Amino acid sequence: MDVEREHDQTYQAAEVQRLANGLDPRGRGLGMWAFVAHRITGIGLVVYLLLHLLVLSVLAQGPHGWDSFVALARTPVFLVLDVVLIAGTLIHGLNGVRVALTGMGFGLRHQRPALVALTIVAAIALVYAAHRIFTS
Amino acid sequence: MNHAAPHNKAGLRWLVQAGSGLLLLVLLCLHIIANHFVVPGGLQTYADVVRYLSNPVVLILEMTLLVAVTGHAALGVRAILFDLGLSREAGRNVSLALGMLGIVAVAYGAWLTSKVIGG
Repeated sequence: MDVEREHDQTYQAAEVQRLANGLDPRGRGLGMWAFVAHRITGIGLVVYLLLHLLVLSVLAQGPHGWDSFVALARTPVFLVLDVVLIAGTLIHGLNGVRVALTGMGFGLRHQRPALVALTIVAAIALVYAAHRIFTS
Repeated sequence: MNHAAPHNKAGLRWLVQAGSGLLLLVLLCLHIIANHFVVPGGLQTYADVVRYLSNPVVLILEMTLLVAVTGHAALGVRAILFDLGLSREAGRNVSLALGMLGIVAVAYGAWLTSKVIGG
């Protein structure tokens, strides 16, 4: 029984290692970095979505609850988090466009330049968004 | 037995994922612009929010955004979890749980919106 349990634990540890290695983009192509970034930003956006729904519950408290929240949302920490959110959305969204197009057979031979171009677009959009967030 | 059925389902899920993603690009842009740039300074007061959500066109767009983002998120999380190598039974349970979580999220968003509009 103990030998079986030890085998299970060894097997599970090996499985975790295999998965971790499979998701490690180091030493691999640009596409793997894009895949990992897509997944990480996706998970981040899911967490944000749940928090967003939760936070919006202050609306149910009426004007007082909402006004207090808006005051908090305009603090520097939250503004920085807004920029991080925009960055995650741009990375996930624009890479998603590339994945959708290549998945449908468009631009299969131009994936690397498409990825580079979309990264540049995302960087420009992020700088603009950060400027608007901190100066509005 | 239709051996192509699992592949058809997977293909359909991919199409829904890609389609909802492309739809989200448009809806999210509209959502961000409307919430932060149309009214000077964005939707600052509770009255701004009520006025905004009382517009039927806005209401339809926001509900569509909620459904699209919830579906896209649920399918995305499902894809990540399935890549971990789930058993058939675990996969079914994951799909069911995510589906239910999605329904709860959309229902909650719809309830909150109706509460805000209704006052």
